[in-house]
Amino acid sequence: MNMRLSRLILPVAAASLLGACASPPKPNSYVALLESPDGSTGKVVVRGSKGEQVIDKAKTAAPLDGSQPAAAVSDEKLKQDFGAAMAARPLLPERYLLYFVSGGTVLTAESAALLPKIIASVTTRPGVDVSIIGHSDTVGKADTNAALALKRAQAIADLLKEKGMKATALSVESHGESNLLIKTPDETAEPRNRRVEVSVR
Amino acid sequence: MRYWVVLLGILFSLSINAADERSEPIGYVKTASGEAFVITAQNRTAAQPGTPVFLGSQLQTGAQGSIGVTFKDETVVSCGPNTELTIDEYLYQPSQGKLALVTNLLKGSLNYVSGVIAKLKPDAVAVKTPNGTIGIRGTQFVAKVEPEAKP
Repeated sequence: MNMRLSRLILPVAAASLLGACASPPKPNSYVALLESPDGSTGKVVVRGSKGEQVIDKAKTAAPLDGSQPAAAVSDEKLKQDFGAAMAARPLLPERYLLYFVSGGTVLTAESAALLPKIIASVTTRPGVDVSIIGHSDTVGKADTNAALALKRAQAIADLLKEKGMKATALSVESHGESNLLIKTPDETAEPRNRRVEVSVR
Repeated sequence: MRYWVVLLGILFSLSINAADERSEPIGYVKTASGEAFVITAQNRTAAQPGTPVFLGSQLQTGAQGSIGVTFKDETVVSCGPNTELTIDEYLYQPSQGKLALVTNLLKGSLNYVSGVIAKLKPDAVAVKTPNGTIGIRGTQFVAKVEPEAKP
């Protein structure tokens, strides 16, 4: 037997012996916090029959029954337990904001230049689904704005299809004036709120 | 007579609402390998990119399987082998403030990147497990449920 193999086997054998002696065997159910894809680190709270724990540091973990506070977890253990789940993570969604020349359904030059990027992103994704969501500012009646935002979203959908975009599923929606990017009072002209969002997943 | 008409009307509209929520996919499979399935209303479908996922669906993998799903609100969920994950609650209507995403990890391993629902209404997002419930404040995390060894 070569050295490398014995080095691998001996610790495993020792661990399984220890495991056999320890009673009762510990269930290995836990949650570990990771850094988010955007580089930030959030927070999770685990509530179990044996307590509640807050985890707010990346690469720390707590048992799902809440019995112990969060403690550091090694990269090796994370890889061993979650390598397959991590490898199966889909491409992260992308979101594009498109703006219009005032009042109508004509895109600004800057936004029109984004269309090829959107189509390229859609083309590379397996099983891709796309939402096109129209938004307005708060000038005028809510109904009128909802209708205008839908008209803009539909115009973008038509344009993208015309340019050859093919998605597994496409939804065209309107959030009217109810989902403002920039919070404003009613009856406020705000060009940044007159937009269409394209979510590529 | 009028009472019955009203009652029928209510039942009819309820059934339409239920049908709407059921028939609209809430996400799609993006990655699948090995034994990977989506079970919806007792129908088990071999998962592949583009397979739709509905409220109440279960993601299931075998010993060599894995699956990745992206939901409409941009929540990204992926599972390793020997996993069962059900989607118990899903509401995504930001314009009406209707937001919820509750999944249940019965066993196996999960990688979770939270999306818009967690951003807008963190209290409405949770992962249940047989051991405890994970509450999410906009983040990426992993969770593993190993069946309790019998003494």
